[in-house]
Amino acid sequence: MAAAGGTSDLDRMIETLRRCEVLKESEVKLLCSKAMEILVEESNVQRIDSPVTICGDIHGQFYDLMELFKVGGDCPQTNYLFMGDFVDRGFYSVETFLLLLALKVRYPDRIFLIRGNHESRQITQVYGFYDECLRKYGSVNVWRYCTDIFDYLSLSALIDNRILCVHGGLSPTITTVDQIRTIDRKQEVPHDGAMCDLLWSDPEDVTGWGLSPRGAGYLFGGDVCQQFNAANNIDLIARAHQLVMEGYKWMFDEQLVTVWSAPNYCYRCGNVAAIMELDENLGKSFKVFEAAPQEARGVPAKKAAPDYFL
Amino acid sequence: MASDNSEDLFSVAMLIDELKNENVQLRLNSIRRLTTIASALGAERTRSELVPFLTDSNDDEDECLLAIAEEMGNLISKVGGPEHVHCLLAPLENLSTVEETVVREKAVESACKVGAAMTSEGITAHFVPAVQRLASGDWFTARISACGMVAVAYEGCPASEAETRSQLRMTYSKLCADETPMVRRAAAQHLGKFAAVCEPENVKGEIMQLFQQLVQDEQDSVRLLAVEDCAALGKLLPREECVAEIVPTVKKFAADKSWRVRYMVAQQLYSLCESVGADLARTELLQSYEQLLMDNEAEVRIASAGNVAAFVQLVGAAAAGAKIVPRVKDLATDQSQHVRAALASCIMGLAPTMGKDQTIDQLLPVFLTLLKDEFPDVRLNIISKLDQVNQVIGVDLLSQELLPAIKDLAEDIHWRVRLAIIEYIPLLASQMGTAFLFQKGEGDKGGELNALCLQWLGDRVHSIREAAAVNLQKLTEVFGAEWACANILPRVMELMSNNHYLYRTTVVRAMTLLASAVGQEVAMRDIMPALKEATKDKVPNVRFAVAKALGEVAAALDPSVVEGEIKPALLELQQDQDVDVRFYAGQSLQLCDAKLSA
Repeated sequence: MAAAGGTSDLDRMIETLRRCEVLKESEVKLLCSKAMEILVEESNVQRIDSPVTICGDIHGQFYDLMELFKVGGDCPQTNYLFMGDFVDRGFYSVETFLLLLALKVRYPDRIFLIRGNHESRQITQVYGFYDECLRKYGSVNVWRYCTDIFDYLSLSALIDNRILCVHGGLSPTITTVDQIRTIDRKQEVPHDGAMCDLLWSDPEDVTGWGLSPRGAGYLFGGDVCQQFNAANNIDLIARAHQLVMEGYKWMFDEQLVTVWSAPNYCYRCGNVAAIMELDENLGKSFKVFEAAPQEARGVPAKKAAPDYFL
Repeated sequence: MASDNSEDLFSVAMLIDELKNENVQLRLNSIRRLTTIASALGAERTRSELVPFLTDSNDDEDECLLAIAEEMGNLISKVGGPEHVHCLLAPLENLSTVEETVVREKAVESACKVGAAMTSEGITAHFVPAVQRLASGDWFTARISACGMVAVAYEGCPASEAETRSQLRMTYSKLCADETPMVRRAAAQHLGKFAAVCEPENVKGEIMQLFQQLVQDEQDSVRLLAVEDCAALGKLLPREECVAEIVPTVKKFAADKSWRVRYMVAQQLYSLCESVGADLARTELLQSYEQLLMDNEAEVRIASAGNVAAFVQLVGAAAAGAKIVPRVKDLATDQSQHVRAALASCIMGLAPTMGKDQTIDQLLPVFLTLLKDEFPDVRLNIISKLDQVNQVIGVDLLSQELLPAIKDLAEDIHWRVRLAIIEYIPLLASQMGTAFLFQKGEGDKGGELNALCLQWLGDRVHSIREAAAVNLQKLTEVFGAEWACANILPRVMELMSNNHYLYRTTVVRAMTLLASAVGQEVAMRDIMPALKEATKDKVPNVRFAVAKALGEVAAALDPSVVEGEIKPALLELQQDQDVDVRFYAGQSLQLCDAKLSA
């Protein structure tokens, strides 16, 4: 729990971010240092108890995240697990990631964040988060604080020992959940190896393993998924990482599900989004939602540079 | 004045340095601090160094140019008084000629600010010549900017300078006849502003001539802007002039071959009718309005349908009954759903003017048609305005169609439609009473609507469940505790057995809101036991929802009950294994203690 005085500071930050306003650089620094204390304690396979609502990619689509909360319920009232890719592509990566992070610090038992392939220094320099930080703050400090936090994010979550949640998928070098636990995750996402694969791989209608067209991770088939689930005594792999037009998609005889939570991805794909609600008996229900209507979105504001000159 | 603080000087030196930096961001930051730089430099050096520097800078980043254009307007107080303000015109004149529209517009805006701060000598010596130079510029961008500045020049130029003023009018007349349509557009756009500062005899004479010329322009984008001048000029002219000059023009515009022009007329017609008065509106303009309601273009019909209530009120029941109501009947089955939605949003407003008999004879069939529309927005718009028609004819006549329409909307697949209808329920309830909305259905289960209100509490979407809880509270406030005990409470309690925590937290929320609406006795007898039971729920989220709820409920209870019932429950929750439960229990305890010590 946050120290005395910290709770009201955090509540204020959360209120600011909910209005889609940026925090001061000093506040970001403080928030990230508190987040680090919490995340460093989490395991590579974070244990989570049901009930919890599972969400996929958000990609900086702040107003659609607000829509998600309208449909699924606010945190902490509803428990959440977000499976990575909070940033890049959308207009509000800064506000989106910092809001989720602030909620994590304020309610560590109610919300869980795991790492996606976009939570990386290299990727964010290409797909928008870096530029957004520079534009909104006039310096790259906030990008540095955030990317340092990315290294501490857990790699996966295990719900009631039955459902494994991971951003991308499986890795040929990993056959047991315990092997994930032995990865030293506190680093930039490597170009290959187990940690890379968990964040980059995709399920596909192949037998065994295939090369990924993404250039990182692998394609894995239903047989691989089946073996992994049986060997580890789990029912289901929940993952994100791939746009699915209907918001969610079952594969491999309901042994794997893709959940995608960015409606009208990149503001142009025309897809709906989904979240998967697990109740306290692991009963599943999907909530499908559309992009927030125009009147619920603010005008993209051009913020003046902060007054650090004089 | 230069400060002796060396740190300040250093920062200013750095800012000045960065005005020349290659990095756009740094340059932009410095430009945003131009007033600071000017204050540090003092008025004289601002005039002799900073402004010339900015005049000569050949920045090619539009973002920087825009910032300079804006900041120039903020330097007015930094250059040493009204007699020196004109020095700011030079850079603004340059910026008024650039290609990027937003930069130009900002430069004109700042130039007008500067002009307003100048002395009348300054206007004649500097501002007027600048306007004339722009107006005769080679490139059309300069001439566009001139259109926006003539009014300020004319106003600032003393009336004794008749010659200068006459030249300015001539310049404007040339701009109105410019070969580039973009310039004529700008001239049409600013004509009203210019007319407002002209002498009345010149408005009647020269300005009206220009207006007549613009309304016949071959470009619809020019005529479009001239439509807006109608209302502006109408206010400046004496009434008979307005009738003779403006009204015929409006009638012509209403039949213009370009739909964009007609659309503009549809939007402006009501305000014009208002300024010419009801009699003329009836005799001269009503026919144009009727035409617009039948326009080929849906956009035009939408714009005119949106005004129908105001129009009917203006021209009165007799004229409206003959000319407008028949068109309204057609619009109710218009092929465009947006036209029908626009009509539905204001058609109820016709009822007070038309009176009871006409409303029942003529309008009721239209209401019923719209209530059955396939497009949810149309139905919602009707339901949201039911109060207007209720006052005239009562809603009984609508009841046959109303309940099915509400039921359909209540089950619409879009949750925002469901939300909208829930939010109208308390209003409907207060207008129509329990008997109508919650009449007993078969099987003695309370009315259909009653069932809907409870059904929303179990909706898939969180926002709907929240709204459903608030709705029950509001209904209880309207119908009273007895009604709630009989129709709502027992069913709400049943929902607590749901095996999904999110639905149970909604029920907790509903119980909390109901507790404050039913009074202490019922709250303690019927609600408190269930809340206490919920403190033992296996899911922490439900337990902290109760912890929060108890703090809220306490506000409406006697101190002795808070002390005896609420606090013990909260003290127990404060020992919970979950940190969030402990937190909210603590917060609610503070609320209780604050109440007890008050």
